[in-house]
Amino acid sequence: MKSITENPVYKFLLFPIGQILIFALGASVVLSLVTVLLAFIFKFNVTDFDLVERTMLILPQVVINGVTIGFVYATIALGYTMVYGVLEFINFSHSEIFMVGGIVGIQLMAYFEHIGTLATMNEYLVIALAIILAMVVSGSLAVVVERLAYKPLRGAPKLVPLISAIGMSFFLQDIVRLILSLTTGEFNVILPKFGTFDEFWKLAVPGMEDPLRIQIKSAIMVGVAVLMLVGLNYLVNGTKVGKAIRAVAQDRPSASLMGINVNQIISITFLVGGTLGGAAGVLFALKATKLDPFSGFFPGLKAFTSAVLGGIGNLTGALLGGLVLGLLESFAASYLGIFTNGAFGAEYKDIFAFAILILVLIFRPSGLLGQTVGQKA
Amino acid sequence: MTLLNTTNVVKRFGGLVAVNKMTFSVDEGRIVSIIGPNGAGKTTFFNSLTGIYKPEEGQITFKGQSLIGLRPDQVAATGIARTFQNIRLFGSMTVIENILVGMHIQLKQGGLDTIFRTRKFNQEENDAEQRAKDLMEYVGLKNVGNELARNLPYGGQRRIEIARALAANPTLLLLDEPTAGMNPNESEDAIKLFRRIRDDKGITILMIEHDMRVVMGISEHISVMDYGEKIAEGSPAEIRSNQRVIEAYLGRGAAVAHEQKA
Amino acid sequence: MNTLFGNFFKKANTGFWPVLIALAFLLIGTFSVYQSPRSLAAFLILMSTPLILYFMKMNMKVKVFIGLMLIVIILPVLGIRNIFYLEVIFQMAVFAALALGLNIVIGMAGLLDLGYVAFYAVGAYSWAIFGSKQLSLLYSVPGAAPADAPFALDPRWFWLFLFLGVGLAAITGILLGLPVLRLKGDYLAIVTLGFGEVIRVLALNLDKPINLTNGPQGITPIQRPPLPPESILQFFRDILEPFVGHVPTDAEFYNVFFYFLALIIIAIAILVATRLEDSRIGRAWTAIREDETAAIAMGIPLVKMKLAAFAAGASFAGAMGALYAANRTFVSPETFSFLQSIGVLTMVILGGLGSIPGVIFGAAAVVLLNIQILQNFSLYLSELRQSDAVIPIINFAWKDLSNQLDPAKYQKLVFGLILILMMIFRPSGLIPAERRKRELVEEKE
Ligand SMILES: Nc1ncnc2c1ncn2[C@@H]1O[C@H](COP(=O)(O)OP(=O)(O)O)[C@@H](O)[C@H]1O
Ligand SMILES: [Mg+2]
Repeated sequence: MKSITENPVYKFLLFPIGQILIFALGASVVLSLVTVLLAFIFKFNVTDFDLVERTMLILPQVVINGVTIGFVYATIALGYTMVYGVLEFINFSHSEIFMVGGIVGIQLMAYFEHIGTLATMNEYLVIALAIILAMVVSGSLAVVVERLAYKPLRGAPKLVPLISAIGMSFFLQDIVRLILSLTTGEFNVILPKFGTFDEFWKLAVPGMEDPLRIQIKSAIMVGVAVLMLVGLNYLVNGTKVGKAIRAVAQDRPSASLMGINVNQIISITFLVGGTLGGAAGVLFALKATKLDPFSGFFPGLKAFTSAVLGGIGNLTGALLGGLVLGLLESFAASYLGIFTNGAFGAEYKDIFAFAILILVLIFRPSGLLGQTVGQKA
Repeated sequence: MTLLNTTNVVKRFGGLVAVNKMTFSVDEGRIVSIIGPNGAGKTTFFNSLTGIYKPEEGQITFKGQSLIGLRPDQVAATGIARTFQNIRLFGSMTVIENILVGMHIQLKQGGLDTIFRTRKFNQEENDAEQRAKDLMEYVGLKNVGNELARNLPYGGQRRIEIARALAANPTLLLLDEPTAGMNPNESEDAIKLFRRIRDDKGITILMIEHDMRVVMGISEHISVMDYGEKIAEGSPAEIRSNQRVIEAYLGRGAAVAHEQKA
Repeated sequence: MNTLFGNFFKKANTGFWPVLIALAFLLIGTFSVYQSPRSLAAFLILMSTPLILYFMKMNMKVKVFIGLMLIVIILPVLGIRNIFYLEVIFQMAVFAALALGLNIVIGMAGLLDLGYVAFYAVGAYSWAIFGSKQLSLLYSVPGAAPADAPFALDPRWFWLFLFLGVGLAAITGILLGLPVLRLKGDYLAIVTLGFGEVIRVLALNLDKPINLTNGPQGITPIQRPPLPPESILQFFRDILEPFVGHVPTDAEFYNVFFYFLALIIIAIAILVATRLEDSRIGRAWTAIREDETAAIAMGIPLVKMKLAAFAAGASFAGAMGALYAANRTFVSPETFSFLQSIGVLTMVILGGLGSIPGVIFGAAAVVLLNIQILQNFSLYLSELRQSDAVIPIINFAWKDLSNQLDPAKYQKLVFGLILILMMIFRPSGLIPAERRKRELVEEKE
């Protein structure tokens, strides 16, 4: 008789989704409590309005924003963490793989707009098509990049492939810019207006005056990201390929001796990471509505921070790290200004992630969940 | 007089107890060996002595001073120098420079001396260079001072590593499998070198060694490790006839066979 | 083919030939730059002279003599004739100093610092804040400053700030290094990147609560140290006028002045770097780069030596920062972006990690590429755009080429390609580092 934990529906669907829910809820609740506590403390410095009331007023929205962007970071972070788990290598150009996904997605929508079908198509179909195309393009690009710029450097001192990856990141930024400039004469790409996903769902919450407003696209972002996470969990823990990936991550020479084609597995790792990055790119584009070839840089760094925060090499860690970072950032952007009475504000949001990265690396370099290279998720 | 003393040193890696309750001592001026099958924990024990690993339990004293909690560079400064099982030279530096790095602790030149090339600096560098050349000759290397260390043949690299360790003027020299990969002639030379190091310089030697000819030929005292524990110790003759040692090395069946033959 | 060239080079590299070749390049270069100040080829010929001096065998004194002729006399004179060259060479000098500093950190000690321009920013902003009117504007909103605000310090304080810049940058290096130098190499890279961004974001946003940096608009005007006394200037005006074809202006003198100041800093930087390299400290750095475990077992305190590398590298950048602020009379956060850090990294990688002549060459080559070659290429393209020319076969009219295609703006592409290609094909750089050979007395056999 199989125990419930062996049941595939539980193992690959209920358990991961439950885990995601718990992480999202847990992180939100903990951070909210801390913030409210801070509000009570800072209340004594701020005299001209009621800090606590103001904090509570925007809290739900801040949490929703944080969770939404957190899922995007988590999806990108998986790419960093998988490659690090297998190769112990920071794939610096992953942020550009992500950016390419976003731009390809927007360009597809722009193409539908151009041929005049965008308005008549089902908006969810459009988004789905954009995501699929972005996944294909980003995934292939990641594989090509690995072949060209990293594979020749395997076995070299650690900093050598890292420098190559930094070079690749810059190279890709400008190549995308070049291609966009030559084809469209412009290198900013703007999400065309279509569908209703900019609108809000209003949820009446008992005990609150205003209804909770959830933007439809936030729901799409979270939904797709959860789908990706569940899919990846199945791939890594439920399939032969996943087993091979874990084996290579744990002990490459032995895996090779056991007849695993290590080069192929490394390519697949990049493919999977790139695919997730591409999907995340489209999700990010829905929110940002405007991208350029340099838009990958900061989200990429934040996703890397998420990976380290959760424990690099650890898939569950990337999820938790992404959520925590997204929430922290959202809280910082909204409350830093309020709490310091305007002295510091949302402009410090971007370096907030670095501060966290440095603190984590100094005090807990193995991350929240620990580095479990090889025995992921 | 006891130079190095350890009591109940324990080093774990996760669930694996790599060094288990090692109590061990080395008398000044002797040549002492640790032997034991692969994976017995010998190298880990060396790494615990030199501060590269922090042992979870136990005491280590050297010249009466505790080494627990010291960083490897601080341990080195107390007068312990070492070589590594898998040679660790600074490959892209020249042979002379490798030996000069070994003198790091003794050299007193500061940043300003360096930038202004003071008389003190020049004097010290000249002396150091001369000593490095002497050490090269001492370990039997000629005409390779300007070669990059990684370009030397294996035997030469072993010698540089010893010269680099000697450059620190240690009281205790730790050698981790110093003759691994050498042919019998080279091993013979190595034995002579170790003897000279002890006899001329009065340096105490503690080595891990696999080659029984080397071990029996040179050691005055031998400790045997297996599964992280010290299972026997004594003079070469005592070790040669020790039942547990034979078992550890050859397995129980072989040990019985050995006994029957004897 | 290769051996043919090799033989030829061997022949040319004996006897009098090297001197003749060097002089030929020097004279032809000088003459052609003099004749056609806009020609890139002429400039390249002239700038090959130092390479010839470096690579070919000749008497050391002759080398120094020809080199000094070029640096001290020919370049300033040509530079006053066409101020653009002085700017190019000034930039080469600034970046060479930065590259020398970064080379200590990456090349010698093996620590990948991706936020190196932060130290440059510290040097620049320290003089910018004290050498401008900023101190009297601390409580005013950016842009709304009263025009009659006084300068806080006399311009001669610049000289002190040149040294302060060194010290402040070194201290910043140590403060940053203390918490992060324990990290593994690749983490260190990302954390230093973050630190570079933190400094830039601070510069961008510290216009409130008090207006320290004047935000994105940057600080201007920043004072320059006074020129030498009028009598000396007059002397040079008289000498230079016939050579440059006009009476040199004060602005031009300032350019020459900063050029020489940069040269002095470079000279000091080279001296310090070479001396450090060949000493207990430099050997410890290389040992750490090669094998940390072996290094620490030899008694080298890792954190202390890494901090020393960080501080030494940072101090070069601090000095150049202060100089840069005075030269431009303007600093803004955008000068200190991640792109700049990568630019300096590219110079070091291109020239050769750990190689002092290499990184100087790398700095010169990248600056040349950036502000000469790419820009010329841009100009050429825009001329083509205005013409009626058509690419044959594919029938593409240059007129239709996007205006966005401006090679001068594609620095990232160039840096990126250089980094990737060097790592794959020539990781030790174009002029790889060499270890000093010592005389071996016992080599008698
Ligand atoms: N850094 C480490 N992490 C985990 N296990 C280790 C480490 N170093 C050694 N070990 C394990 O400790 C045991 C003893 O190894 P070692 O000291 O190298 O043995 P010996 O030198 O006697 O051959 C082995 O099982 C080895 O796998
Ligand atoms: Mg061993």
